[in-house]
Amino acid sequence: MIQVTNLTKYYSADKASLADVSVTFQPGEVTAIIGPSGAGKTTLLRSLNQLIRDDLGTILFNDQDVRQLNRRGLKQVRRKIGMVFQNYNLIEPLTAIENVLHGRLGEKGTLAGMLSLYSQDEKDQALGLLSEVGLGDFCYQRCHDLSGGQKQRVGIARALMQAPDVLLCDEPIASLDPKSAMVVMDILSRLARTKKMTVIVNLHQVDVARTYADHIVGINQGRVAFDAPVSALDDWAVTQIYR
Amino acid sequence: MDQQTTKQWAFFRRKHTRLFLVLLSALMLYMGTASLMNFQTRSLLGIGSGFAWMATNFVPNQASLSLLPAILYQLWRTFLIGISAATCAGVVAFLLALMGARNIGCRVTLVRVVIRGFASVLRNVPIVAWAMILLFSFKQNDLTGFLALFVMNLGFLIRAFIETIEDFDGDKVLALKATGATYGQIVVQAVLPEVSVPIVEWLLYMIENNIRDATLVGLLTGTGIGFLFDLYYKGLQYGAAGLVVLVIAILVIGIELSASKIGRVIA
Ligand SMILES: Nc1ncnc2c1ncn2[C@@H]1O[C@H](COP(=O)(O)OP(=O)(O)OP(=O)(O)O)[C@@H](O)[C@H]1O
Ligand SMILES: [Mg+2]
Repeated sequence: MIQVTNLTKYYSADKASLADVSVTFQPGEVTAIIGPSGAGKTTLLRSLNQLIRDDLGTILFNDQDVRQLNRRGLKQVRRKIGMVFQNYNLIEPLTAIENVLHGRLGEKGTLAGMLSLYSQDEKDQALGLLSEVGLGDFCYQRCHDLSGGQKQRVGIARALMQAPDVLLCDEPIASLDPKSAMVVMDILSRLARTKKMTVIVNLHQVDVARTYADHIVGINQGRVAFDAPVSALDDWAVTQIYR
Repeated sequence: MDQQTTKQWAFFRRKHTRLFLVLLSALMLYMGTASLMNFQTRSLLGIGSGFAWMATNFVPNQASLSLLPAILYQLWRTFLIGISAATCAGVVAFLLALMGARNIGCRVTLVRVVIRGFASVLRNVPIVAWAMILLFSFKQNDLTGFLALFVMNLGFLIRAFIETIEDFDGDKVLALKATGATYGQIVVQAVLPEVSVPIVEWLLYMIENNIRDATLVGLLTGTGIGFLFDLYYKGLQYGAAGLVVLVIAILVIGIELSASKIGRVIA
């Protein structure tokens, strides 16, 4: 569970990118964050593992405030939080399996990680995860040569390699065709249900959010405009979020 | 004419006017400088006879061919020095470029500015000047030639590598940071694979450049192929000097050709 209280972030003094945001993300659920462009969705998501430092508030994860952690503590927390990006952010000249194994870097010593000294267990696990996202046959392909949908699934496998409790996905389907998008969303909701992960997804498509999310958080100009189970998201609520 | 076409017409007229002005100023620049230098465009016609003299005198003959083994030996040594200077400079330049790059480098701005400034100084002192300066300190030997090339390469490569590394997408660094990866891991596992192709291409270009420059450097430091050229030239053995130039050109072209092959292989 991640519990955010009164989170506030200013990039410039006159305009808050996040204003007094308080939300709770539950394990075993897919929470979709929706809202207009520039609302602060990315800022909120990246605050959760402190890739963006906030100005005020608390973020409780496993009963500790991640904003108060030192470097070591933060590194520990980051290992438990996987991330998936719109543009995949894979190291394209490397193969799929090498990219998936990057998910283990946080657990390894610096030197072992630099030299790619992975154990047999880790390699088997990476292969298993690639099969799980339907890419078993592509594990020795260079990511450069994969399609967008395939790249995104490698990205998910990399995040899963961290054995995370939380999955942060920033517009994971924005660059994908409808069919690949469905494949990716299916995988994400399956992870929430079967592995009891806390899955948080920034989305631009309200209908996708309706189909796949359990809980909806609407953000507008840095403020929480909606925070309820998906069943409460009627048309009026949508207009309020996107007003 | 409706408004749309008027706008279009005005746009293209502006473009054409600009092109005309650029050409006109280029012509004026040439005429201005030429008149300042008392350079007669007509004197370009005399170039033909100069080339004719060059062609008859610098063509290698029987006598110069007997010198081929000695020339090739010196060429080989020059080649090795060119490679070692470029690779040594490459390693040092990569480490400095990592620190000097804005996206993943040192967070202290001063350090980055100092690295760029250092590279700029090395690069902007002409190689001839470096050779002369080093000549006083290290005397006439291969080390002097090596150092002159090394210094030049370092200045050039630091800047090329910084630009290559800065092209690297910062979000990918973020992605690995999110897994808890350390700085060293990010450099080796993410930055290095992404920049290795351009970096190898820069190194090959440097080697090629070094062999050309080695002629000039060797002339001054009395080493390698440049020294041989100087020797033959001053000894009025123009055929042999021409042969030196020829083998250098062949080697450089050979490297250039293999460079694009090597680039394709590692890509
Ligand atoms: N590095 C930055 N420096 C200054 N302002 C920023 C920075 N990053 C984001 N902002 C501002 O913060 C606000 C929220 O940005 P954010 O990227 O979180 O929006 P978003 O909801 O993710 O938008 P989108 O749907 O377009 O991705 C925007 O007004 C943006 O201009
Ligand atoms: Mg965003």
